[in-house]
Amino acid sequence: MTDQAQSTPAPQQLLTRHGTGLIALGVLGLVLVLLGPLFLDRFTLNVLTRSMIYAMMAITVDLLWGYAGILTFGQSAFFGAGAYATALILTHVGGGAQNFALALVLSLVLPMGLAALVGWLSFYHKSTPLYASVISLVVPIVLTQAIFAGGSFTGSSSGLVGYPTMKLGAANYFRLAGVALILFAALSWVIVRSDAGRLLVAIRDNPLRAAYLGIRTQRVQILLMTALGGVAGIAGFLYANAGRIVAPEIAGFGFGTQMIVWTALGGRGTILGPAMGAIGIDYLGAQLSGAMPYLWQLIIGILFVVMILFMPRGLAGFIPRRRGGAPVPQLGALPDHMQQRDSAPLLSVSGMRKSYGDFVVLDGIDLEVRPGELVSVVGPNGAGKTTFLRCLSDGTETIEGRVLLSGQDIAGRPPEAVVALGVGRKFQVASVFETMTVAECLRLARVTQERPSLWRRAARITLPRAVLDILSLTGLDGKLSEPVSGLSHGMRQSLELAMVVAMQPRLILLDEPTAGLTKAERTLIGEVLIRLTRDLGYAAVLIEHDLDFVRQISKRIVVLHQGRLVMDGPVDAVVNSDLVRSIYSGVAHD
Amino acid sequence: MTENKLTIDGLVSGYGALDILQGVVLALKRGEILALMGRNGMGKTTLLKTLMGLIRTRGGTIALDGRPVAGKPPSWLLANGVGYAPQELPLFQDLSIRDNLRLALRHDRDLPRALEHVSCSFPFLLDRLDQKTGTLSGGEQKMLILSRAMMCEPDLLLIDEISEGVQPSVVQRIAAALRAEQERRGVSILLVEQNLAFALDVADRWAVMKLGRIVDGGACEAASRQTVLNHLSI
Repeated sequence: MTDQAQSTPAPQQLLTRHGTGLIALGVLGLVLVLLGPLFLDRFTLNVLTRSMIYAMMAITVDLLWGYAGILTFGQSAFFGAGAYATALILTHVGGGAQNFALALVLSLVLPMGLAALVGWLSFYHKSTPLYASVISLVVPIVLTQAIFAGGSFTGSSSGLVGYPTMKLGAANYFRLAGVALILFAALSWVIVRSDAGRLLVAIRDNPLRAAYLGIRTQRVQILLMTALGGVAGIAGFLYANAGRIVAPEIAGFGFGTQMIVWTALGGRGTILGPAMGAIGIDYLGAQLSGAMPYLWQLIIGILFVVMILFMPRGLAGFIPRRRGGAPVPQLGALPDHMQQRDSAPLLSVSGMRKSYGDFVVLDGIDLEVRPGELVSVVGPNGAGKTTFLRCLSDGTETIEGRVLLSGQDIAGRPPEAVVALGVGRKFQVASVFETMTVAECLRLARVTQERPSLWRRAARITLPRAVLDILSLTGLDGKLSEPVSGLSHGMRQSLELAMVVAMQPRLILLDEPTAGLTKAERTLIGEVLIRLTRDLGYAAVLIEHDLDFVRQISKRIVVLHQGRLVMDGPVDAVVNSDLVRSIYSGVAHD
Repeated sequence: MTENKLTIDGLVSGYGALDILQGVVLALKRGEILALMGRNGMGKTTLLKTLMGLIRTRGGTIALDGRPVAGKPPSWLLANGVGYAPQELPLFQDLSIRDNLRLALRHDRDLPRALEHVSCSFPFLLDRLDQKTGTLSGGEQKMLILSRAMMCEPDLLLIDEISEGVQPSVVQRIAAALRAEQERRGVSILLVEQNLAFALDVADRWAVMKLGRIVDGGACEAASRQTVLNHLSI
């Protein structure tokens, strides 16, 4: 069901003006780390080497916390695992090129395996971000205890020291750490700005909406944790070699918390800020902790509180923000896509019953919807209409009876898997991505159709014509680069509707799609829905209170009353029935 | 005492660098229901939020009974007879209906009286006081929002799109409840609405907002519908 855009590949853009500045900064950084050893004393070199390794760690915390919204205290565990893997190999197996290679591989693979396990525990089943944070507290504690319990093998509380390390010299370790930091920072910077990187922010903003766009949110989160576990492990390898000592503290949650302080002070959600925070605080700490060992911790504490209160954006707040926002992407039209029209029902519900304890919400529901049909569901408030849509789109809801989509049972399938069967759902209260722009939301709605790039941000978004119609008639096309948080209630409704249609689902589930819109906007949206169903063969199930609107767009109405489907028939017969009259006697929406 | 319950003059407010309200001038008489309409994104909700002290005023004045109140916090306004039924997610979804109502009261001893008030307009809520609010349907939540705002017997009630997602017969009940409040206690109501029929039916006067300003207004009469529709057309 994927369409191919006929237009030529859109011009893509990797760099903005802001980006050129950062490239210059990166080159300057590179020059500094390569030439630094010529004018820095040995103590400063050693301290800064460590600081730069810590800065890599701060960036991993920033990606998890600042971008993906996962507050983690556990990055130290992966760092410690990498460092200890290295130190253990070098202590017990000995030096030599092949052992260094073995240590490098293990310091990558072990932490990744550990991180994948932690990620799976944290995200595998509808868990909350808080749950992930708690697990991230536990893992470093367990690992530290294991190190303590390891006796002479792990060096217990005194750690491991005196093992052979790579003979690079302080100057070259400084250069190596610097280059690794700059490369990792640049890579992170490119990825978080790419279309794929925006997925992380989308999942943070609204995991439910992301799942209903077909994004496998848990998998993305687990992959991110695994990859960053690997980076932490490599940082641990560097640390164990450059520092020539590993101690249990580096795997502990105290160190994990320190990384959070660096990230917060530097500026969460920016790549540069946390790196600056880590280097600044660690370097200052090394300089000052000798002179005032106790006072220094107090200063850091006060600084932290002051920054949180007065500079919530951290050190990065000193960097002027780019004016004028992101460049406005162009919109392109996809050719009209005809859905398959076979006579078999697309949606088939039989004997559906849903209850919460003794409270029965839906009972004995049978319904078939064919391609090209637009079925309106009406009924009084509290009749179970929204619950009905949820049971059609989330197979993990416990129900009796069966829901078949194109002949496949949805039982047990989470929303993203039901979406993959060709279902799109619009919620009653608009569910969009608050911190993103309108264009980014639309782009995300297409991720399952067009794989997002890890490197670039598309300058052109191609959307089905029906979506372009919705955007232009609600005025959203003039607000593409505006953040969703500034949109009015009705505009959010329209944006979510546009996102759902952009997915080109075979079955569109709409919960009061025109709530909060003016009469004129309703009429125009109604025409778009008619075109989608009658002309293009989409199927739609629509919850609506406005009988005039229902009459305008649909031929078939079902009535849901006290959890039962009491009527199913052509519009006029249903609308003129006594039951519907009694429910709807009142003011029609004008 | 002035005749006006609420007087807004040259009101400017907004978010970030953007001024959404660009000099709103509007007066609401004591005991009057005013329907404020307009297309999406014109600033209707922002006006209510600014009046309620949730967004800072950047210019102009707001007077309640002739007293300037711009800059007063929401708690002060609530304590001084302003009620607010917001549009989005104002209910505590994990609390019971009873607790959602209790939270709006200063003292628990006021609860019986408040419940009596609720029973006049939406008696079904009383049968379900211990039900978790999150299990109410969208339309039922709207009724709870309005009940909670009305039971404190405010002198000025700000209502944001209360008819959205509510079945027509209940919309009619809401209209009746608002008019009853007006007749019984002389409450002044600023009603932001998309449902034109409901709004013009219940209100004494209408006003239309466009790009942060009031551009037209008048008494509600037969011809108003077409005038407002012209303003709302695309």
